[in-house]
Amino acid sequence: LNAAPRRAPRQQIRFLPTPAPSGGGALELVPTRVPVLAEHPLVQGPRFRRLKIGAGHRLDVKASGVFVLGIGHGNKLLTDLYNCHLTKVYTVGGLFGKATDDFSDTGKLIEKTTFDHITREKLERILAVIQGTNHKALLMYSNTDMQTQEAYELAVKGLIRPMDKSPPIITAIRCLQFALPEFQLEIHCLHETQQYLRKIVHEIGLELKSSAVCTRVRRTRDGVFTLDDALPRTQWDLQSIQDAIQNCQLKVETEIEKTLG
Amino acid sequence: AAMAGMLRGLRAARPARSLHRRGLGGAAGPPSTRQLREAEEAAPVFQYAGKAAKRKDRVFVWGFSYSGALGVPSFVKPDAGWKKPRRIQPTPYRLETEEKISSAACGYGFTLLASSTTDITKVWGMGLNKDSQLGFQRSRRDKTKGYEYVLEPSPIPLPLEKPQQTRVLQVSCGRAHSLVLTDSEGVFTMGNNSYGQCGRKVIENEIYSESHLIHQLKEFDSRVVQVVCGQDHSLFRTKKGSVYACGWGADGQTGLGHYNITSIPTKLRGDIAGVNVIQVSSYGDCCLAVSDEGDVFGWGNSEYLQLASVTETTQVNVPRHLPFKIGKIKEAACGGTGNAVLTEEGNIFVWGYGILGKGSNLIETAVPEMIPPSLFGWSDFNSEICVAHIRCGLSQFAALTNRGELFVWGKNLRGCLGTGRMEDQYFPWRVTVPGEVVDVACGVDHMVSLVKSFT
Repeated sequence: LNAAPRRAPRQQIRFLPTPAPSGGGALELVPTRVPVLAEHPLVQGPRFRRLKIGAGHRLDVKASGVFVLGIGHGNKLLTDLYNCHLTKVYTVGGLFGKATDDFSDTGKLIEKTTFDHITREKLERILAVIQGTNHKALLMYSNTDMQTQEAYELAVKGLIRPMDKSPPIITAIRCLQFALPEFQLEIHCLHETQQYLRKIVHEIGLELKSSAVCTRVRRTRDGVFTLDDALPRTQWDLQSIQDAIQNCQLKVETEIEKTLG
Repeated sequence: AAMAGMLRGLRAARPARSLHRRGLGGAAGPPSTRQLREAEEAAPVFQYAGKAAKRKDRVFVWGFSYSGALGVPSFVKPDAGWKKPRRIQPTPYRLETEEKISSAACGYGFTLLASSTTDITKVWGMGLNKDSQLGFQRSRRDKTKGYEYVLEPSPIPLPLEKPQQTRVLQVSCGRAHSLVLTDSEGVFTMGNNSYGQCGRKVIENEIYSESHLIHQLKEFDSRVVQVVCGQDHSLFRTKKGSVYACGWGADGQTGLGHYNITSIPTKLRGDIAGVNVIQVSSYGDCCLAVSDEGDVFGWGNSEYLQLASVTETTQVNVPRHLPFKIGKIKEAACGGTGNAVLTEEGNIFVWGYGILGKGSNLIETAVPEMIPPSLFGWSDFNSEICVAHIRCGLSQFAALTNRGELFVWGKNLRGCLGTGRMEDQYFPWRVTVPGEVVDVACGVDHMVSLVKSFT
């Protein structure tokens, strides 16, 4: 970053004493443009010595996916994005038949159960109920008075959501793949942690009178940032980072304007 | 520990056994991956539900309990002295029943549950019994008297000719009378008959409490397939598509062209004559009927603009066609002051007076207004969700979606909406029921739902 060409130094107009061209020993003040010495590269040193990098919503060790970082001024935008309370989308993979202590497949085994009675229809029924109760929680934690007409209008458009701290809420959940004993879910949620999603997988297993563990958690969208904007390990270099920041600038600005006004 | 070892050594007669090593020596360090895998495979597998596990049928009740209409005696008379009676059950509470209940109906302070079994006991009732709307319930303390309040689902003895073959199809409850529909023995009516709503002649000064009289009605043009009770009148729909009515008619709710009492079920004419009616609905003093072509007809009380789209009068005593251009109508539900219909696309239209479900600004309308489907869970994500059934209580509405979710809205009288809150609900709100809701019956201040468990 420091090797990038910098701005040319400021020029200033100074009256310098120079010997007069007309001869004689008298000194005249001639206005000349000289660069300000304070901005000389040798005086200033490298432009960036430290970078302020902040992290967006947490992603724990066993999970993968989109992880938003803010650099410099981006840290302030991160706070604004947090206050927008946008949903995140996860792809969660699960396995029926096992129950472990930390709800993932690398934990200590507690119990094994049969799962051949589980069908996709039963799973979808459970998911519909989870979505229903969470939708109710969405309306309740949004702290709006349900008796008003504005609450009705927002509810119709689906814009009611909690705008401050609340327990984890799932706004939408559906089954992408179902091949016993494995299954994959797509979960849209707010204010959650990845361990909470693993716990949801475990509870789905319990509801279906069996048990389930979570094999993978992958975040596919965090607010306005999707997998397409994210940089994989091979692209962690300056040029790609700069391009990515450029591409997302407009999206972030519009979203913040829309939600926070 | 070293001291103890030395002491042990001093007592030479004892064999030297170390205090530290108890049991057999185990592996040292954390178990390796192979050991973990072997331990996993060797673990026992538990089975909680087999492949042929069936979904269980349950009944959930909620609302005002002091009349005994919820069927849980411990709400009214707690079993321990320190417990307080529960006046209102704000969230769904499971009611244990002996048989699978196929039909339920809520009246004004009482409930009827019916099962389509061929056993002797087919109908159970609980709640208010001051007019024998639950039949005669012999009191256990005094064998000559009957109960005024029945706190537990108690069997109702029906005078059937073939009790082990006849099945009960449907029950319906009004303000102080009830109707039981059987498949081969017609309709049985019991309860208050001061306006002829039980289909028999009005006897002056008849005492209705502790009465054993259950009347049987068989003379219709074909088999009766649906019975509906209004507040003080009864409607019967037959297989041929005609509608019969009896009972109080001062608001024209019998639809027979006059405002008098009718004590014998009489066929309705008007705009319904010749129309094949597929569903009738009523709960207060207004009635709606749906034909097989998707038209809706109404008659009865119109003080709350229920029929204002066809007439300015407040009582309509002949069925009139309601010319709504909202699509083909599948089901209609009539409440005390508001009405709702369900169209073929799965949308709900409401009109009338009261809390109609479109926010606190809409209090009355004569023209049906649609409730946006996004309130029932419809979104781009779930576009197959639509409403499957609509039911009405006196001032509440209940809608069932095709995913088995129950939405309620309206006046929350004594917690009857089941939302857990006591405030009125101005737009459809989900009721959390642990199961897939198959049917719901709404009363004045309580509701009963028939639910299938998830797995």
